Amino acid sequence: MKAFIANRGAFIALLVFAAVVLAALLAPWLAPHDPVQQFREHMLTPPVWQAGGLAQFPLGTDELGRCLLSRLLFGARVSLMIGVLSVLLALLPGIVLGLVAAFHPRWVSPLVMRVMDVLLALPGLLLAIGVITILGPGLINTVIAIAVGALPGYVRLVRGSALAELGRDYVTASRLAGAGTLRLMFDTVLPNCLAPVIVSATLSFSSAILETAALGFLGLGVQAPQPEWGSMLSAARDYIERAPWVVTLPGLSILVTVLAVNLMGDGLRDALDPKLRQA
Amino acid sequence: MSEPVMHAQDLVRHYRVRQGLFAPAATVKALDGVSFTLRARRTLAVVGESGCGKSTLARQLTLIEPPTSGALRLDGVDAAVADKPTLRQLRQRVQMVFQNPYASLNPRKTIAAALAEPLVINTALSARERQQRVLQMIERVGLRPEHAGRYPHMFSGGQRQRVAVARAMMLQPAVVVADEPTSALDVSIQAQVLNLFMDLQEATGTAYVFISHNLAVVEHVAHDVMVMYLGRAVEQGPKTQVLGSPLHPYTRALLGAVPVLKKADRRPRIPLVGETPSPLAPPSGCAFHTRCPLAVARCKAEVPMLRELGGRQVACHLAEVGP
Amino acid sequence: MSALLEVRNLRVRFNGFTAVDGVDLDVAAGELLGIVGESGSGKSVSMMALMGLIDAPGIVTADALRFDGQDLLTMSAAQRRRGLGKFVGKDVAMVFQDALNSLNPSHTVGNQVREVLRVHLGLRGAALETRVLELFERVEIPAAKTRLGAYPHEMSGGMNQRVMIAMAIACEPRLLIADEPTTALDVTIQAQVMDLLLRLQREQGMGLVLITHDLAVVATMAQRVAVMYAGQVVETASTDTLFEQPRHPYTQALLAALPEHNRGGPEEGRRLSALPGIVPGRNDRPAGCLLAPRCSHVQPRCQAERPELVGGVRCFFPQAIKQGPA
Repeated sequence: MKAFIANRGAFIALLVFAAVVLAALLAPWLAPHDPVQQFREHMLTPPVWQAGGLAQFPLGTDELGRCLLSRLLFGARVSLMIGVLSVLLALLPGIVLGLVAAFHPRWVSPLVMRVMDVLLALPGLLLAIGVITILGPGLINTVIAIAVGALPGYVRLVRGSALAELGRDYVTASRLAGAGTLRLMFDTVLPNCLAPVIVSATLSFSSAILETAALGFLGLGVQAPQPEWGSMLSAARDYIERAPWVVTLPGLSILVTVLAVNLMGDGLRDALDPKLRQA
Repeated sequence: MSEPVMHAQDLVRHYRVRQGLFAPAATVKALDGVSFTLRARRTLAVVGESGCGKSTLARQLTLIEPPTSGALRLDGVDAAVADKPTLRQLRQRVQMVFQNPYASLNPRKTIAAALAEPLVINTALSARERQQRVLQMIERVGLRPEHAGRYPHMFSGGQRQRVAVARAMMLQPAVVVADEPTSALDVSIQAQVLNLFMDLQEATGTAYVFISHNLAVVEHVAHDVMVMYLGRAVEQGPKTQVLGSPLHPYTRALLGAVPVLKKADRRPRIPLVGETPSPLAPPSGCAFHTRCPLAVARCKAEVPMLRELGGRQVACHLAEVGP
Repeated sequence: MSALLEVRNLRVRFNGFTAVDGVDLDVAAGELLGIVGESGSGKSVSMMALMGLIDAPGIVTADALRFDGQDLLTMSAAQRRRGLGKFVGKDVAMVFQDALNSLNPSHTVGNQVREVLRVHLGLRGAALETRVLELFERVEIPAAKTRLGAYPHEMSGGMNQRVMIAMAIACEPRLLIADEPTTALDVTIQAQVMDLLLRLQREQGMGLVLITHDLAVVATMAQRVAVMYAGQVVETASTDTLFEQPRHPYTQALLAALPEHNRGGPEEGRRLSALPGIVPGRNDRPAGCLLAPRCSHVQPRCQAERPELVGGVRCFFPQAIKQGPA
């Protein structure tokens, strides 16, 4: 903990991220308007600090007259939720599969790893597009698509860590104490494999946000009129010159959030590493 | 004389090793026929260098792997042919203390949790009863009750070994296999841990299989000694005989090679040529003949069997009881 | 015999923690000095400091540091490595404990020895090849010619240690420092390697500093011994004197704790006399004598003041106890 706080970049990133989470949680109260409500008389209004801006719409409106600030706030909810859900959906099966593969090296492991290799062979975004094509667009399916892409990474990570720990004496000692496979997997080995997994999860979170944005940009993820940063970017493509704020602000939101999460992940890794070395 | 708690008969363990895609699989004869009888409150020391099979023997005795052939009797039951439920019962009778104090404790478990684990798995004791036993054992091995809630990295090597011994004793096993338990410790700490071993043996009657390359330690703790070379016992018997008047050339060379503090106790040096052959390609006949200063033609052709000589067993064609 | 190496008051500090505190050493040409100590004694750090291998934030100071007449204190660590006849690696060499960790796994052993010869002696071509082969044969590596192309992981521990020794003696050093050279090896191989070191020492008239925790090795090989505890030299004497009449309580305790000292077996119910407690770490250095918390002869003065090394013993109340049969 102390090491993490000492790392100034990581700590600031944590504060920024906390702010984003807070904003997303309090969106219904912070947003001045309904994010899907269209104000036809005020289409493409610039932000309040530019000429022609209105206090009513602090960050301006988009091409359909929807309040940008409100859409960004609600969009944060979507991005964060997809981030958390997709990580969990990849992490939990990933841990189980990785452990099972490590404990059964003769048949199960090659089978599992080859399936993972197939998944890894496909470029992440293409894979996500493929899944969406099969399942159809939408929020839940976006989560599934991203999780499928992240799964092989976790399986490999957990399997590698578990294999390294399996050779150590304390695992043998637990075996001698009579521990069965399940106990060995989850009570003995897993806690010692978690550190790199936690760090990886933090980083997956940020790439999940980016993938959601990409899918949204392609029109395959979250569907209109639900606000999502990526689809906001896509829809505003045509207005880059006329109304740059409609593109810039969602883009900035993505940038800031992803940067914060990445820095946090780095900080977490640095904080956990020396302790790993000591232990 | 107490009843034997463990009896090993011609234990053999072979491993198949792949030699790449095109070469046929090779067989590593890690253990090639080891027999001994162990009684309560006695210590059998297993002495040998790398490649002699002592680690494999440790794995066999603690029931981690079944032998390729041979019998291992524990409490009268042959573990080599036992079914799974029987094995699970037998496992409580044999426990192990490992060499590396820094790798034998789970870094993410408190001492109390690590010590309670065998009880959780094998007994139906309540949480309070487990806690009681854990605390009892902690004090028995010379640690303090406040150590119970701490993690391994907060302890020194010697203290960790005490915890390892405590864990091994939790189920009150009949046999504890100690694999070089003090090799990684400093001299003054080694003394503390060895004393602990001996106190526990006296108090509980546990038998030890004590694997060590340190002959001075062996001299101090063992009743019987077994000297191993490339998977076989070359000399075994009561310690005073084996270490006092060794008959096998390898035992003599080993004793001569160990640096001894007092000039008066030093043995004649028998320099050996070369290094231990690989277990993948053991020499024909007596495995030691490639390095033995006394080897004759018979040694290359015929594998010597253990025979009774001078109060112990020796596997050498040329050994004679002499001055 | 002239003093080859003279060290006075060597001190190594890391971030306010004194790992090595006032070490005095003398090694003459052709002499074998054994430095004995347990973990945390500072024996390895002292030697690394001598070789200029301590990097920042470690600070190395000494009142005197003379090798073969040359004053090392006036040389910076970089100079020690490169200037004045390329002193380190050439005139002073070091052999480490675990050869597999000390050799580069990606280079053949032949190339690693060649590198030493090239850098320090400037040998090339045929002269280089001859010398490499010669060295391998000198350290008794069988089938030397074929072994030149082997990688460290293809050879056994004993062989790798011989390669390390070959690298160390390549430039015919005047002083060889061996840090636990045989601890990781089997007993019979250990004997072979120790024999080799002794033979090389005799042939080349080298000074040899042997760092080990094994008292028996020192008893059989060294002419003089220095015993270290928690960063200080607590006793130094000739081997015979040290083992027959140790004066410092720590030396006595070490000898008493050895199984050899307590002859007899488990039937006789003998217990080893164990020194209670553990070596003080970074955070619990006593104000007085570092051994005071564990010493059986401790007096009030010991807890208040730190004793200096006087007449080869660092103790206010040294007691010569003759070591007879136990």
